[in-house]
Amino acid sequence: MHTLLKFFSSLRLTVVLLTLSLVLIFFGTLDQVEYGIWETQKRYFESFLVVWSYPLQAPAGASLQWLKIPLPGGYLLGGFLLINLLAAHATRFKLTWKKSGLFCIHFGLILLLISELLTDIVSEESQMAIDEGGQANYSETVLENELVFIDCSQSDLDTVHTIPTTLLEKGKRIAIPDSDLSVRAIQYYPNAKIARAPEASEASALNRTIANRGIVERIDLQVFEQPMDYSQDAINTATAFIEIFDASDTSLGIWLVSNVIDERFPPQTIQTKSKSLEIALRFKRTYHPFTVELLDFTHEKYPGTEIPYNFSSEVFVNDLNQNKKQKALIYMNHPLRYGGLTFYQASFANEDTTSILQVVKNPGWLLPYISVLLMGLGMCFQFGMHFIKFLRKAKH
Amino acid sequence: MRVFIYILVALVTISTIFRQFSAEHIEYEYYKQGFSELPVQVGGRIKPLDSVARNTLLILSGRQTVIAPDGSKLSAIEWFIDLCMRPEIADTYRVFKIEFPDELGLDGLAEKSKRYFSFNDLQPYFAEIQTVYQNIEPEPQKRTAYERQIAEIYNGLILYNNTLQSLHPTGNSERLDRLIDEYQSYETLIATGLKALKNQQAGEAYDENALNAFIAYADSYLKLSQTARLRIIPPQQNNQAEFLSDWKNVGLELLDAIKGSPLSPSIKQYAQLTMAYRSNDAETFNQGVATLKATFKQEYPKAYSRSQFERWFNGFKPFALSIQLYIFAFILLLISWLKWTTPLNHSAFWIILITFLIHTFGLVARMYIQGRPPVTNLYSSAVFVGWGAVLLGIVIERFYKNGIGGAMASIVGFATLIIAHHLAMTGDTLEMMRAVLDSNFWLATHVVIITLGYSAMFLAGALAIAFICMGLFSKNFSKEDARSLTNMVYGITCFAALFSLVGTILGGIWADQSWGRFWGWDPKENGALMIVIMGAIVLHARWGGICKERGIMNLAICGNIITAWSWFGTNLLGVGLHSYGFTDSGFFAMLLFILSQLWFIGMSFIPWSFWRSAYGRNQLAKS
Repeated sequence: MHTLLKFFSSLRLTVVLLTLSLVLIFFGTLDQVEYGIWETQKRYFESFLVVWSYPLQAPAGASLQWLKIPLPGGYLLGGFLLINLLAAHATRFKLTWKKSGLFCIHFGLILLLISELLTDIVSEESQMAIDEGGQANYSETVLENELVFIDCSQSDLDTVHTIPTTLLEKGKRIAIPDSDLSVRAIQYYPNAKIARAPEASEASALNRTIANRGIVERIDLQVFEQPMDYSQDAINTATAFIEIFDASDTSLGIWLVSNVIDERFPPQTIQTKSKSLEIALRFKRTYHPFTVELLDFTHEKYPGTEIPYNFSSEVFVNDLNQNKKQKALIYMNHPLRYGGLTFYQASFANEDTTSILQVVKNPGWLLPYISVLLMGLGMCFQFGMHFIKFLRKAKH
Repeated sequence: MRVFIYILVALVTISTIFRQFSAEHIEYEYYKQGFSELPVQVGGRIKPLDSVARNTLLILSGRQTVIAPDGSKLSAIEWFIDLCMRPEIADTYRVFKIEFPDELGLDGLAEKSKRYFSFNDLQPYFAEIQTVYQNIEPEPQKRTAYERQIAEIYNGLILYNNTLQSLHPTGNSERLDRLIDEYQSYETLIATGLKALKNQQAGEAYDENALNAFIAYADSYLKLSQTARLRIIPPQQNNQAEFLSDWKNVGLELLDAIKGSPLSPSIKQYAQLTMAYRSNDAETFNQGVATLKATFKQEYPKAYSRSQFERWFNGFKPFALSIQLYIFAFILLLISWLKWTTPLNHSAFWIILITFLIHTFGLVARMYIQGRPPVTNLYSSAVFVGWGAVLLGIVIERFYKNGIGGAMASIVGFATLIIAHHLAMTGDTLEMMRAVLDSNFWLATHVVIITLGYSAMFLAGALAIAFICMGLFSKNFSKEDARSLTNMVYGITCFAALFSLVGTILGGIWADQSWGRFWGWDPKENGALMIVIMGAIVLHARWGGICKERGIMNLAICGNIITAWSWFGTNLLGVGLHSYGFTDSGFFAMLLFILSQLWFIGMSFIPWSFWRSAYGRNQLAKS
């Protein structure tokens, strides 16, 4: 037990862990060229183990394909660093004035590690697109998709049942709530290309859809599987063939759903004796208990250039529950914080008439600020002491 | 001897500074200096024609002067005047730099290993270049070296052509000699031309000659409004913030006359200048320049004094001067370790101090011109990294007075200014800030602090290299010297760790404010974090006694590699929100730098028996 504690509290372990972190971050930066920021973040920093392989596009890529480096992931290293730090404080450090700076720095670091973990787990990011004069009560993320069943039988309220696509991939049978129907994904493609089928030719027959209900009854479509595109701003076309069963386990047919078959097309519906359900595969949505109305979006450029000088959205937040109204101007470096969410000016579309806001839910957003303060103060104190000692020595 | 050395050093320093002031050759017959101070709007900024001329020339040929076919040397503004006013002559100047002309596949272009080409040299290949250009990879990041060169030539030709049309319509020499007449006949034609047009559309009888002439003018000016690069006509009524006021280019101003607004007097004055210059009438030229200047001074006193200052600053080149003086100080310190230690040490310290002041002046001047904190792009970060390192080096030198801090400060200052010089080849280094970066508060805190962290890391790394070189080769390098040098590296690393950490975290807060994400694992953020971790490794390794002096030095040299990666490497990757673009030649420079650092680390592992210093012998005895 004693040796174990000694091992976990040693400075040698600290240096090893820090060095490994350095290496992990380096490879985690390199791989962003291949996989983009989101995917790399998951693979490297929100994991326990990762294997880096020599990229094919790099010089001599073909002959160095065998080169693979296994690395401990962010969770593993962060966890060990945390243990190392706690163990060191439990055994080696005594709280004295002289060491108080170090305590501050280390406590700040612990807080930072925890807040980063918290952010990984609980924070949610989505985007809200609003047209000028229009309003929105939901935001969506193009990185995730969901299968939805919408019950429109009530006139003033739609009931939406969602199934995350992670469940579809397994091909299991899932019961649809509030109905006696169940659903099974026959095929799920994280990315695909959907095209109108050419006049019956032999080659096209191979890719003919297996769907027989919904949109395919009107348009002849083909589906081609595509590799996932990880590049920045790329949007993957999640697509699935969905089979619906009724209470007596008889198939009602197979539907083709995809996030490109969106509001531009007439809704696809499942019709049973008792019920009519709309079915769609769409970007994951988060509904909010308020609406955001875009009064005006401005996009200014420096004269004679395409360099943006300012983007701003003038919005009106209308709370549905409390009948509260709030006006706000969202622009660069000046977000709106409302209802536990933060709205940032992210982008724009449709010739400057649509504003796209980044909506972030991160309950731990204040933690880094505290940890920064602790670490900064601690360092100033610690190094300041060193410096004063040094000055005294230099005088003698 | 001592006095002699002081006098000699002072003389060299003064003559270097003096030479810098008189480096630019100015012709007195024509008031070209006045012309070069005239403000125009380009790239969203109001700047003097001098800056336009220099930056354009830098982009085209990588230098700020032109060698005319007769062998005489022209300054940038002289070239610009010829380009706009005597294009038939400017077309023979070799201003297009093509690094590898024989690899272009353009038959007959590559001859007798020349690298500079004139517009006329390239003219026979226009069609071919255009066809090749249309078929290359559209995304600049993915282009091959060949495609990049083609794109460079193509864009260079467009830039040349658009700059050429900045002051007035161009054409054959006859048209240029009659500009004023052209404007006058155009102004009188507008009314009759419009009437003829109306009549024609209504199907009535109309003046066919007037209509055709009018349409010919309008057509030519419409084209001009799309190509003329500089906006030379300030708005008549200026009620907006100065930097947002929309200036007009010459084509637009001429077109707007159709709407009934009278032609601005400046457009005619520019035409007058051209005609005077073409007919060798220096007096009219100089008068015209004076009038234009007086008008600007009256209407835009702030922009005018700023652009006048910028013109002066361009000619002074404080950073070029600093480069020379830093290397001079470094050489003096090298000699000081062999002979005349005290006088050379003293004089080098003073030179570094003076150079630091010149360097500081350059920084502050750029801040005044741009109205921004010192670091706004890669170029200014290079200038600032050197500045910070020299400042730290001066502080160290004050305490230790052994010349090592000063020597390393001057070499880092020299190296970073050389890097800055190469980064300036992309054109204007005072470009406007994108909206998301447009925050003076964060630029002044996060960016400045993190860049000071780079400075400290590089200085620590340079000191570590000095340690290894002196330990290996200098007989006088004692155990005490080794200890004090280790203390220096330690102290500077503490500083680096503090600044990198605070800077990185401030960056996180900025990101939280603008994107709602404290940390996004973006390459630039990762680079900054790597510096922080590197600093932490050095400090913990020392506290734990894991590394002795040599080990700490090697870690500090690793710090150089990490910092270079964080500074440039991440831009080479071209992903993320921070990447502000970088050329590929940078990749090889980076590789070379890393190899050189690894070489120093390798040197440090030479067995103690080969170390010639007292420190080395001591280590040998210990082991």
